[in-house]
Amino acid sequence: MSDSINIEYTKIAEIKGPLMIVDGITQASFDELVEIETPDGEKRLGRVLEVGHGKAIVQVFEGTTGLAIVGTKAKFIGKTMQMPVSPEVLGRVFDGLGRPNDGLPEPIADKFLDVNGEPMNPEQREYPTSFIQTGVSVIDGMLTLVRGQKLPIFSGSGMPHNILAAQIARQASVVGTKEDFAVVFAAIGVQYSEAQYFKRSLEESGALRRSVLFLNLADDPAIERIITPRVALTVAEYLAFDLGMHVLAILTDMTNYSEALREISAAREEVPGRKGYPGYLYTDLANIYERAGRLKGKNGSVTQVPILSMPADDITHPIPDLTGYITEGQMVLGRDLFRKGIYPSVNVLMSLSRLMKDGIGEGKTRSDHSEVANQLYDAYSRSQEVRALAEIVGRAGLTGIDLKYLDTGDMFENNFLKQNLDENRSLEETLSRAWEILSALPESELTKIKDKHIKQYYRHQNQQQSTNVGVAAAVSSSNAT
Amino acid sequence: MDHLLVRHAEENNKLYEKTELISYLFGLYFILYLTPKVKIPFYRTFVVMSSIVTLEQTIDKVLSESQIEFVNKIDSAYNESLNNLESSRSNILQEYSKIINNAQKQSESIKRQIIGASKISARNKQLLLLESAVNNVFVKSKEKLYVLGKEKGYESMLYRTLEEGVSAIQTRDIIIECNKNDKNLITKIINDFIKKNINYKIAVSDGFFDFIGGIRVRSSDGLMSYDGTMDSKLERVKPIIRKNIAQILRGEE
Repeated sequence: MSDSINIEYTKIAEIKGPLMIVDGITQASFDELVEIETPDGEKRLGRVLEVGHGKAIVQVFEGTTGLAIVGTKAKFIGKTMQMPVSPEVLGRVFDGLGRPNDGLPEPIADKFLDVNGEPMNPEQREYPTSFIQTGVSVIDGMLTLVRGQKLPIFSGSGMPHNILAAQIARQASVVGTKEDFAVVFAAIGVQYSEAQYFKRSLEESGALRRSVLFLNLADDPAIERIITPRVALTVAEYLAFDLGMHVLAILTDMTNYSEALREISAAREEVPGRKGYPGYLYTDLANIYERAGRLKGKNGSVTQVPILSMPADDITHPIPDLTGYITEGQMVLGRDLFRKGIYPSVNVLMSLSRLMKDGIGEGKTRSDHSEVANQLYDAYSRSQEVRALAEIVGRAGLTGIDLKYLDTGDMFENNFLKQNLDENRSLEETLSRAWEILSALPESELTKIKDKHIKQYYRHQNQQQSTNVGVAAAVSSSNAT
Repeated sequence: MDHLLVRHAEENNKLYEKTELISYLFGLYFILYLTPKVKIPFYRTFVVMSSIVTLEQTIDKVLSESQIEFVNKIDSAYNESLNNLESSRSNILQEYSKIINNAQKQSESIKRQIIGASKISARNKQLLLLESAVNNVFVKSKEKLYVLGKEKGYESMLYRTLEEGVSAIQTRDIIIECNKNDKNLITKIINDFIKKNINYKIAVSDGFFDFIGGIRVRSSDGLMSYDGTMDSKLERVKPIIRKNIAQILRGEE
């Protein structure tokens, strides 16, 4: 960083969109923090995007509205943007730039960390293998999240992705250990009501004291959105690698982030890429997503759940497309399921958790977990085919086994996928529901499950009927005890 | 037990009905036999008697069949009612456990909410108190720094700041801004500086500036300035020394 500590410039050459060009610069550095004072005395923050020929291009986070060429001062601070961190950040609410937003003072810092983060040494990375229980059947059972994974939610406008994210944040836990768990939530250009819902939901579940919220609302300056995920991940890294916590970082909505990036790119007159997004969108997104993981010799982990709303539900749009290349799978919310009133409306056939196989099974979850998940995929896929066929030939034209698959599909949607907003299912319950559905098929159809597991868990028709009585008896006896 | 008693009573009733029917038929025959207008020969009496026995057997058969049917019906109704009772018991148990679970969940959630909110509220109050104490320390420090300005090392510090400022803004036509108490001292320092650096044109601004101490070095065209005031230096180090002050206030050091 330069020695230009506290040098103030007043020669503003141009103000263009979110950018301000300062002239007569003698010392400035790339990414340097700039304090801007408007003619009215209002202070704003910015950062240097480009330096050269005595000029510096400064990106103004709070927008350039109200700035004038005459009377505006730009003070180059001599350091990059930093976030003060300490254990006190837990339970706090910040704005999109990391400034307190809860009426409390700035946290007394243990450290000041560069918001751009330290790139993780690939050699020091540890492969994620530990299961995180979210209490949501479809995620725990079929799209298992593991510590250190980056698993985005691909959604559409108006879909309940934030509700799902809030549920995951409330319920997420590391089963069987007493290790600390924390949630870092970055709202990027979300509506006020959504941000309030998230805050209230964490408060009500008592999870707020292990959470940190960064809120950039829809009416906040768009350029601030460039910084929001970075400050959030800086705090997440501190909690994980300095304090040894397991951190779940939820970033919503990355589409708004990408649009802010596009706005800056257009203002800088860069050559546009697909749909006007800059050519470096992939690199930029990777800079954010790759800040998830585990490090050798460190206890903590950063698990990322970025959420992005696909414009017009188009999965080939550049944002979900590029995100899919970087992340380790995706959860896709389906419009059809949403219209049917099914929550969470996760379209499992389009979703995948690439690291699931390493986080489940004997000693981690249950020995039959992987097979059950595969068989459910298979059964639901077949049921979808049968549904399509039934629309043409009618139910009467289906064979007996097709009808069973059709019922299995309905059971899957209503008994497994569908869940209440406050329903926190254990993995045992999730797998038990899965077996209930699979037991509706003949044993001979369960080709992806080992015989010993079928023997152990498959429920014959009479067993299925007595299950309810058995459950009730168990509950009554446990209550009596 | 009740069930057996009921069955026994039923059987008695049937036997009684059968006996009553036979005595009724005998009575009917006797009346016809004595009636003068209706003459029934003796051989016909024998025929009538034998058909009465057949009738009796048929009635017996019908009665025993209906009895079996009746008992079966009672048995199945009894079993059905037992099943109903059993299933409604399990339903009740399910409902009961649901209600209990929901109540437990709700109470857990309220408990968590209350504990979480009170912990956060207590922590926030502590933070506010600490911040106000830290700010008091800064106010007192500023007052002390204002007095310290008159001490020995201050002059050499101002000279160093002037050198830094001149070097930073890279121009030879310079204006220095300072508070009114420091004006004489600054003039002396500028003279010393110009003796060593002859190509510079440095003037002291006539404006009123409310600094604790230090100087602001500005290019004469006003396009660039270097802030070397004690206020700005204090602001710069404030976030760093806040932690130390807080530790002292908390009694950690």
